[in-house]
This record gives sequence, C-alpha cells and structure tokens, in this order.
Amino acid sequence: MAKVLEGPGMGLMKKWGIHVPNYVVVTSADELAKLGQANEWMKTSKLVAKAHEALGSRFKLGLVKVGLDLNGAVAATKEMIGRQVGSITVSQVIVSEMIAHKEEYYCAVKSTREGAEILVANCGGIEVESNWDRVKRLCLAVGQAPSPEALEQLAKDAGFTGPLTKKMADFAGKMFTCFDSEDAQYLEVNPVVTRESDGAFVALDAVTLLDGDAKFRHPDWNFAFAAEFGRAYSKEELEVMAVDSKIKGSVKFIEIPGGDTAMLPAGGGASVYYSDAVVARGGKLANYAEYSGDPPDWAVEVLTEKVCSLPGIKNIIVGGAIANFTDVKKTFGGIINGFRKAKADGKMKDVKIWVRRGGPREKEGLDAMRALKDEGFDINVFDRYTPLTDIVDKALQK
Amino acid sequence: MSILANKDTRVVIQGGQAGVNAARRMAEFCYLIKRPLSVEAFVYPPDAGKTNEIPYGSGLIAVPIYKTIAEATKNHPAINTSLVYIGADRAMKGGLEALDDSHIKVVSMITEGVPEKDAKILGAHARKLGKVFNGPSSIGIISAGSCRLGVIGGAFDNLVLSKLYREGSFGVITKSGGLSNEIIWICSQFADGITTAIGIGGDAYPGTDYVSYLEMFENDPQTKAVVIVGEMGGDLEERAAEWYGAKKRRVKLIGVVSGFCQESLPKGMKFGHAGAKEGMKGEGSARSKSDALKKAGAIVPPTFGALGPAIKETYQEMLKSGQVKEIVEPTSLPKLPKTVEEAMKADEVIVAPLIRTTISDDRGDEPCYDGYPASELINKGYEIPHVIGLLWDKRLISKQEAEIIKRIMMLSADHGPCVSGAYATILAACAGIGLSQAVAAGLIMIGPRFGGAVTDAGRWFKYAVDNKMTVEDFLAYMKKNVGPVPGIGHRVKSLRNPDKRVKELVGYVKSLHIKTPCLDFALQVEQVTAAKKDNLILNVDGTMAAVLVDLGFPVDSLNGFFILSRTIGLIGHWVDQKRQDSRLIRLFDYLVNYAAPKRREVPPLK
Repeated sequence: MAKVLEGPGMGLMKKWGIHVPNYVVVTSADELAKLGQANEWMKTSKLVAKAHEALGSRFKLGLVKVGLDLNGAVAATKEMIGRQVGSITVSQVIVSEMIAHKEEYYCAVKSTREGAEILVANCGGIEVESNWDRVKRLCLAVGQAPSPEALEQLAKDAGFTGPLTKKMADFAGKMFTCFDSEDAQYLEVNPVVTRESDGAFVALDAVTLLDGDAKFRHPDWNFAFAAEFGRAYSKEELEVMAVDSKIKGSVKFIEIPGGDTAMLPAGGGASVYYSDAVVARGGKLANYAEYSGDPPDWAVEVLTEKVCSLPGIKNIIVGGAIANFTDVKKTFGGIINGFRKAKADGKMKDVKIWVRRGGPREKEGLDAMRALKDEGFDINVFDRYTPLTDIVDKALQK
Repeated sequence: MSILANKDTRVVIQGGQAGVNAARRMAEFCYLIKRPLSVEAFVYPPDAGKTNEIPYGSGLIAVPIYKTIAEATKNHPAINTSLVYIGADRAMKGGLEALDDSHIKVVSMITEGVPEKDAKILGAHARKLGKVFNGPSSIGIISAGSCRLGVIGGAFDNLVLSKLYREGSFGVITKSGGLSNEIIWICSQFADGITTAIGIGGDAYPGTDYVSYLEMFENDPQTKAVVIVGEMGGDLEERAAEWYGAKKRRVKLIGVVSGFCQESLPKGMKFGHAGAKEGMKGEGSARSKSDALKKAGAIVPPTFGALGPAIKETYQEMLKSGQVKEIVEPTSLPKLPKTVEEAMKADEVIVAPLIRTTISDDRGDEPCYDGYPASELINKGYEIPHVIGLLWDKRLISKQEAEIIKRIMMLSADHGPCVSGAYATILAACAGIGLSQAVAAGLIMIGPRFGGAVTDAGRWFKYAVDNKMTVEDFLAYMKKNVGPVPGIGHRVKSLRNPDKRVKELVGYVKSLHIKTPCLDFALQVEQVTAAKKDNLILNVDGTMAAVLVDLGFPVDSLNGFFILSRTIGLIGHWVDQKRQDSRLIRLFDYLVNYAAPKRREVPPLK
C-alpha cells in the first residue's frame, strides 16, 4: 500500500475527469508569487495553503491556512516551508483555490477481496464520520464496471434526489474508473462539494492509496510515495530501502526510538512473532527488521550494521524459523561481517546476541556464529530444537 | 490421503532459474519417497526446445522446456498442476494461460509483488473454472509422503527431520513461507507430522484462503486437525473462525496470529508481508482475529512458543481416543548422494587430482604467487619482473635481476609491422578478427625462424659452458649435430650495421660487474662466426638467452620472455589497425610469382 500526497493524488483524479480545485505545489514563497502572476485564478479566488507532507492533524499544527488572498498565501507558504514537525521538515506547500459551496457529500472506492466497493453518502466532512450508517455501498466483482443504472440506484439509496442523483452517479463512476485504471487500493473524497459557480461536483479533499506493486505499468507515476506512519524515513531506513530495491530477496528496517531490544530476524512472518514475543515479555523494541528470500550476504551485512548502530541496545535477536531456501551459512556470513565491523567501531559493548535458526546449511551457519564467542562477542546460539521465540524469553529474563 | 497434491500430481513449471531451483528441491523429495520426478515440463519461451537437467539421486533427468503451456500439456497429458515462477509484471498472463488449459487443475504462484488487482483476477478466474489458484507469494504446497510443489520443506535433511517422507495427521495453512517449515517441524516433533501443508502467501488477497482449504481438509479423513498461522491485516482469519464456528466440524482447528506488538507500536507501521496491515477501523488486528478464533472454538495458544505444547496436547487426545495410532518409523530412508566436495569434507572419499600446480593459488580472497599475496607484493614495491620470477622460476628475484628483465622486455616489445608476428596480427586485424585471435595469429609465427630461438640459443650456450667447451669445439659440435648456431646471425644486421638492442643490453649487463659466463661465451662465439661472415653476429635472441641463463632462468622458460614482450607489440598493432578502421587487405598479383601450370583442360572423370 503506497500513500500518495494530495498534489499527485488530485493529479490522478483530474486525469480521469474528476473536477478538482485549481492547485499548485511549491517549494518556496517566491515560486508561489511567480505562479501568482501567471495564473488568473490565484489572483481572483480565495486560497487555501497546506503543508504538502505526510503529516496528520495539520490543522491543529497550524499547517493549514484558509481564506487567503495571494499575498496571504505567499506569507503562509513562507512561514510553513522549513518548519520542523517531529522528524519531518516541511519542504512543499500545496496552494489551491477555495470552492464556494453549501452542500458536502462523501464518495470512496475501496478494494475488497471480491473486487471493489463504491461508498457514497449525502453528507460529508466530519458529519459522515459520525453518521457512518448513512454510507451506502455498491459491491463489484473484479473485472466488473458499475452500470449507470446501478450508480444512480446507489445515489438514490444514499438519499440523493432530482438532478443531484445523476451528478453523484457520474462522480462515483469517474471515481471507480480512476480507481480501477490507476491500480488504486483506496480512493476517498471527503468532502465532495457542489461548486456554486456552475453546480459541478468537485473533489475538495482526497486520500489516495495506490498499489506500489503495479508501478511497472504506470509510467506516469512520477511522484514519490509518502512515508506511511506520520514521519519521514530516516537516513538509515532509506539506505536499507535502497539496498532492498536492488536485490533478489528482501531486507527491511524501521527504527523505533527509545527501545533497547534490537531485532535482526529472518522472514516476514517470523519477524512479527519475534516482535510480539519481545512486547509480550515487556521488552521495548528498538526497531523492526527482516531479511528473507535468500538475499545476498552483503545486503544482510548492511542491515546488520544498521541494527548494531541503534543507540542504547542491550540485546540483538537474530531469530528465524527453518528456512526453505535461504542459505543460513551465507546470510549468517553477512551478519557476522556486520557484527565484526560494529565491534571494531566499538558498538558492541554490553550487547548480548541471541541466535536461533534452521534451514539449508544450518549447521555451518550456526557453527560460524558460535565461533564468534572466541572473538569476544557475548553470543548465545540455539538450533531448531529450541522453539522459535524462546531466545526472546532467555534474552529478556530478569 | 492429502489435499491438493498427491502421488498423481504431475507438474509443469513456468519460469526460468527460480523454477529450475524449485525442480531440484522437488526432485530431492521425489527421491526421498521413491517416486519418479513429478516435474514433467518447463514453460520458458527464451529456452524453448532445450532441456533443464535436474539431479535425481546420483543421476540427471533432462526435463524439456516448451514455449507454451499448450505445447507442454500436449506432449505430457498427465500434467495437472502448474507452478508459476514468472516476474510480477508477466505473472498474471502466465497464470491465466495455465488456468485456461483443460489439463491443469491447480495453479500455485510463487511470484512476489504481484499487483493486487491481478491476484484478484486470477482468483476469480480460477473459481469460475472450478480450479484452485494458490498464491501469489506462496512458498508452495507439500503433501507428506506423496508430493512437493515448490521449495516448501527446505533442504533434504529437513525433509527427513520433519518426517515428510510419510503422512501424519495435521494439516497446515500459513501465509508465511518460513513459518510453514517451522510448523511442519513442530508437528513432527510434538505430534505425528503433517498430511498437507500449504503456503497461501502473505498478500492481502490470496487466490485461495483458509476457508477453502479448511473445507478440503474437513473432507480428508487422514487430516484430524489443522494448524493455521495468521497475521494481522485483512479478514482471512476472521473468515476461518466464522467457518469453524458455523457448525460442528470433524477437524480440530489450532490457530495463532501474529501482530500483537502492533498495539504498542506507531500506527500504520508496515511489516514483512503486503497483507499485514491493519484495517481502517481496528478490524484485522491480531487481537480481534485471535478472539474470533477462540470464540469459534478453536485452540488458540497465547504465544507462538505455546503452539508446540498445544499441538502435543491435541495429538495425545487423539491417541487416547484411538483416532490416530502411533506411527512406526521406517528403519532406513534413502540418503541424498553427497557431492564430491561434501564427501571429501566428511573424509569419505579420496579423489586423485587431475592437475597439480606449484605456482599459484587464488582460492582465498586474492591470488597468491608462489605463496606471496599479490597485494602485499604490490605494497612492498615489487614489480612485474618479480611476478615473472615467481611464476616462471618460483623465486623472488633481486632488484638488479628485475631491472635486467625489464630492459629485455622493453627492447623486445616490438619490431615494426614487417616482421612475421606483427604482419600476421595486422592481416588478421584488417580482416576484422578480434583481439585475442589476431594476437594469437601473431604469436603462432614465433618459432624456429622468428623470435623462437631464445630457448634453443640458451640451451646450447649453456651446454657449451656446462661442458667447458672451447669456441672451436662448440662450433664443430654444432655443425655436426645441430646445424646453424641458434642466436647467431641476422637477416639485415651485421658487424658494420650492428643491432643497437644487443649493444645496449650487453653494455648494461657488463656494467653491473656480475658473473656472466654464458654471455661471455656467446660473445666469443660471435667473434669467430662474424669473422667468417659479416652477418653472423650475436642476435637479440642469443643475447637475451645468454643473459637469462646467466640469471638462472630455466632454459624452457626463455622463449617466454620474447613471447611476453612481443605480445605488447602485437596488441599495439591490433589496436592501431582498429583505431584506423583499416580495410581488408590482400596481396597484389605482382607480389606473387605464379609458378603453377598454365590453364589446361580437365580430362573426363574415370
């Protein structure tokens, strides 16, 4: 699931014929001022300026300003650019026209197991969230497009009447086309508003989630996906992602500040059970990590270096199930190299290492890990006969 | 019994190297349970018409590669299952091709990163046709004692340790590939092992979910209990719980769900599998799944660690009720033949080496020349002549010796385009021949008449010196037994037009005041021969030979100095012609003396 910021999200909607307000994304107040000279709407409309970053509660943070004229928008942009919120520095501001409207509606398209679901409500904004039963759904099997009749029925069910029925049906149809054509996983417009000037339905605020795996067939997805948990990726995380994108198999790394139990487990499934075991034991995770699919040893080495560099860690959990085809000796070779480098940099003082693993060449791999003891590592090595997460219990025993 | 895969399963693998690797693992399993190889064909258009060689026991089986599924099933009508190992961008097309073939009933997709929409289309298409589409991102399917699809089950030793050579009583369904193996292992340690284990893949919308497989297990009398390993995200576990709770089921359901750590982590953190993401409003959390399973009556151990004991308890109850009987393990099982390397490591075999080397070894992180690491030689100031000394004569030569060799090489590197070697290389270069072949053409010219006299010259001068011959005795001996003295005589140079290279080399070596018995002897020979005929001078081959013998190089290596040096020139000539984009050349008729018989009539064939 890949989140897309408002600018590119609105761009995709516009591509499929959905009315969106005029907008520009700028990286400086000067750029906005210049654009203001070139675009008539910026001089004549009231404007909204928002920090164009993956941040929640922007309104509360003062990163949304409404009812501005161009000068006001330039001033707001100047104020927002460079603002530091947690780990995110505001580097872009989206400035759009305010659409004068009275009514607000809701429309979304959601991926389901069978295909997709179109959601429509004749209320919008915060009202829809407190009146979720007013949302009406149209379920579609994969490969099936909604008929105009079904869409009109959906609008009617949601309480639209008169000419609004057809307008909402058209809007929902376009939303579905955009969803289906762009490999979206979730599209939500809240609110949909009636533009007073011409009565058209306009998407005022949008959430766009795309299927990152489908990028290969969308050459025009020239935007970056936004970080998904309300903060920017750290330098270390980005470095591991860069390695991940280059290799067969995968390496993943996410930092969790404040923890003291570092994770270096194998497998997308087992890694979560290891994290669960740490939390269940009252431990504090310092990171999430995972390597799988028989990645090259150098990639695991990079991951290991990042894990060993986490501040204040006391234990490193090198866990893993019994691999199907990941070569234990080879991947452990990468981990061992990483450990040695970290030790040479003085990072392994008072750090205990806990190993449990099985799979192709498990004996050779585990023997190599055991041999680290002779190099002065505080390391405890277990094989398949020790249940998966028991090393966490041993590590966190008081 | 088992589900999905059994003794009758015959497989086509769609894809390249990853598919071949899977076939190897599958062959190991077939060998373990003594069934013929289950893989009958590959579909991989780039290699269509060729075969993949799959080791089976100590032999190799050639499995044909086809361009299309239709060709594969036409030639192998028993095929009923396809494994898809095609890249994510082409996986859907491949999957549909397999599903649409009337022979194929089960398609399992291993490919990761398949777009969600494509997975849904494949799943829906299979359901419409009444077939099974498993995956994407599936590690595979294994039925103990009968069939393995994909790499699930791991290495051969693990197949044996996990008792996969015979049926147990537990079905396994997991999203995670690594954990499927772990659960198979646990079932074999805490109970009697598995019937069938299925990796459904960690994507959000797998083609077939827990419920469909639970239904199949329910109808398989051999399966007494099913273990499912779930993850946060989606609603597959909730649906499994719903199925289990809907009515009295024959099979027992044991389930664990991961993702409880989510409760104390930043929201929206993405974990290993694409499907592991929490729903919009708390649905799909580990807790809600776990609660749903418990409520439906499933056995839900509190942690993954408690899964083994829970399985054990279930098994003990089944034993007590007589539902299952204790299995007597076979006394012997086939052992996977070891590779030569493995057998040597285990001290089980002696191999007579094919070749023996005494000069170099690059099995470590860098080459060692006669034991010295190349980087250390570089860093301690040694140069190319020292490497020659190590590799040709197995000794570290002195600075002075190295300087002499360097000078010899510099003097012999090239001798213009007209000599046989350079001319041959140029001819080849003009004919568009590549570097190595064109240089080889030049090197082929080196022989008794061109450049190849160094070794022979060295041999005979050494012979004379070793036997303390006088110049006169030597010349008489040579005349009687050998012929012209190698190293003496030149096509164009003479006493009056001396070879500057010889003068230079002799002058330098003499200036060092070292012992040079061969060179001294060769110069004495020259005095006698040149007096007889002006051009019977000591030539550059003879000079090099005498000096190198004096330095102690083995006679057999001496031509090597000329070959090595002249290669520098030959490469230069090839590059030079290439740079000029030279055209094909041929001799002009006026450069040929046509001495063949005049044109005449061909007599009738008798």
